[in-house]
Amino acid sequence: MSALRSSSLWLVVAVLVALVAACGDRLPVRFPHAQHLSGVACGGPGLPDCLSCNTCHRLAHDNKQAFPQKQLCRQCHQSGDARLLAVRPPANQPAPLAYTIRFDHKKHLAMAEVKGQCIPCHAGAAEPDATLFPPMARCFECHEHQKQWDKAECGPCHVRKDLERLMPETFVRHDATFQRGHGQAATQQKKLCQQCHVQAQCDDCHDVTQDLSIEKRRPEAIERNLVHRGDFVSRHAIEVRSQPARCARCHQPSFCDSCHMERGVSGGRIDGRNPHPVGWIGGSSDAPSGHGRDARRDILTCAGCHEQGPATNCIRCHKVGAYGGNPHPKGWKSSRSESAAMCKYCHVN
Amino acid sequence: METRRLLGSSLLAAGLSLSAPAAAEPHDASDDGAEVLVRSETHFRLYQRALLPGPYGATISEELAAPIVEYVSVSANDLDAPWQKRSLDVELDVWGSATFGEAGANRRMDGDVRNAFVRYRSGPAWLRLGRQSVAGGAARYSRFDGLSAGGTLPFGLGLEAYGGLTVLPRWAARPGYHQLGSPVESLWRDPSALPEPERAEHWVAGGRLYYDSSRFDAGISAHEERERGELAHRNLGLDLRADLTRKLSLGGAGVMDLDSTRIADARGFAQYSPFRVLDLEVEALHAEPALFLSRQSVLSVFSTDAYDEAGGSVRYRIWRHLTLSGAGFVQLYSDDELGQRGEVTARITPGQTDRTVILTTISRVTAQETGYRAMRNALRQRITPVVDASVDAYHYFYDDPIRGYDTSRVYAGTLEWRALRQLSLLWGTSFAQTPHAASDLQTQLRVRYVAGGTL
Repeated sequence: MSALRSSSLWLVVAVLVALVAACGDRLPVRFPHAQHLSGVACGGPGLPDCLSCNTCHRLAHDNKQAFPQKQLCRQCHQSGDARLLAVRPPANQPAPLAYTIRFDHKKHLAMAEVKGQCIPCHAGAAEPDATLFPPMARCFECHEHQKQWDKAECGPCHVRKDLERLMPETFVRHDATFQRGHGQAATQQKKLCQQCHVQAQCDDCHDVTQDLSIEKRRPEAIERNLVHRGDFVSRHAIEVRSQPARCARCHQPSFCDSCHMERGVSGGRIDGRNPHPVGWIGGSSDAPSGHGRDARRDILTCAGCHEQGPATNCIRCHKVGAYGGNPHPKGWKSSRSESAAMCKYCHVN
Repeated sequence: METRRLLGSSLLAAGLSLSAPAAAEPHDASDDGAEVLVRSETHFRLYQRALLPGPYGATISEELAAPIVEYVSVSANDLDAPWQKRSLDVELDVWGSATFGEAGANRRMDGDVRNAFVRYRSGPAWLRLGRQSVAGGAARYSRFDGLSAGGTLPFGLGLEAYGGLTVLPRWAARPGYHQLGSPVESLWRDPSALPEPERAEHWVAGGRLYYDSSRFDAGISAHEERERGELAHRNLGLDLRADLTRKLSLGGAGVMDLDSTRIADARGFAQYSPFRVLDLEVEALHAEPALFLSRQSVLSVFSTDAYDEAGGSVRYRIWRHLTLSGAGFVQLYSDDELGQRGEVTARITPGQTDRTVILTTISRVTAQETGYRAMRNALRQRITPVVDASVDAYHYFYDDPIRGYDTSRVYAGTLEWRALRQLSLLWGTSFAQTPHAASDLQTQLRVRYVAGGTL
């Protein structure tokens, strides 16, 4: 109960902290593009010239994003104007990664479909809550990019070093559902995966022989569905009973005994505990608590301790002609002949 | 241009001159040089551990361990071969560790090469040479030193094949300790009692023939693995996926063990996303655990029992600030026993951006004669544009006491400072009270460097 109280208390504290933090979590003030483009009287006698996108963003000249210089604003606004200060870009804040794409503004503006207009792509400029950066779907309204898709090339637009840190949002979304089936996706869409990921990133999780598990390497990734989170040591015996084959997808059976040996819970240690109940070996192997039934139900758990090569202790009793009887269950078959090296341990003749 | 052809000097130059190009600067991709990506991650860890836990809290011996682990990965793409421009990719991925303190006295230094390969691309074909992995299909996940090749054929078909010597970790060290990983977490008492493995007797080979179109993918694969010269695995795999509409996908994958002509595991799924804010998935799984064992394990001949699992998951973004997700699965074991596992997660983002994220998860697992309930609360907070913090709390309630205790709790926290776009520092610490430790305090400092550029 104390753990439950502690858990609830923690949740309440977390929510309170979050709410306090959220009070200051506001969207940055956006430059009022619509106001400048259509909300200012212009063009008439005594009025300033009408503004266009190119007035401030001189794309036609240098083909860059071209954030306007302060002096440009001061042609109309007095220095110190609160409105000027409000829309200052945040200091020392790098542009979002998504912005670092290869894109030729000059070439696109010259296209007949675009007619030199910025709004067809940057429609969000006129809406206070929309993003200025066009979604990828906007690119695909004109470009099929079929050739690139066929070759799984993201490189023509995306910069490779940024791809690693960009998360797909509208397709191949990397959420919890994707994680469960990502193995199949990696098999079928290998070239696509390779656009963002190097092989080392697969091994960060899948190489179980390395020193640190992914949970220790990425403790900040609270939203990733990592298998060994929290107190996995205590619950691992429950997990393996729940999904008997799951561990074996990554771990070899000897992994179990290496760890059990070190923690003093292996029968292999001189002072180790025998986990089996009294009478577990003797008697009928089909008894409800007999070793035969348990072995058939989850042989991988047996292998955790008893996988010491072909001459393992099982065949002392289950050798052909020995009193242990035939260990092969109904329906078992193998294409190997009895002369295969492993079979000969029991089938001596 | 000549420099780019010399791989060693290219990578050295890249390491010295990596820089981030200005945002939104246009490029003509065809003019770009080779792209190089360098990842480095250093973990300084410190913890005290009890090697032989007695009853709760009564540790028998304690050791102070201070391992340092370094991961380095360098990849370069679109290098020039002498005979063809922009046709080579290379990847090198290594790790090493040194352990200080009382623990790990027998193996203070450790490390391995995870990947080291060169890939050559020419038109629709590619060829990869070196240490590499093959994943998915009949192969599951295998690492080998050898050759793989593939290419696309007419009519959407493609073919891949691979073969080589299985990687035996730590340069073919005797089996045992390397399968656990950390030298401080392993105690194989007498490795010399085990036979020295002969690498030539451990090899893998296989391939996959596939069809790939924008709406339909299917493949058939084969994989053979030998241990000590004898059969370890001989698998046949089948995988397919069909996007019936933009909202509905069906798929599945399965692996058959050809030695026993039984299905080792198979999974089928259907995904439906009627709206942007709602994702649904149902799936079914069948697995026969004994078929995951090497055919060289005598235990592999003792069982044909299997289990089945069915269930589904849902993710629903109810409101801008709240997303609920849940998953539930039921297992049917061979003796007609049932198991179940399920969890519900609420993701709360109270602000106008995702600067603050709260996760609350409640889960329940019941397995054969045992089970647990768990609650997890986590919070991630962006304190400044370059500083993030996270805290994580786990509480477990076990149906049956473990070593006499029926609860455990783990608290963890991190503070990360992205000092530069390429460089971040993270301090993490955790405290746990479990049936295996009265108190377990660990801390680590992580230095992470990720940078890329063009040669």
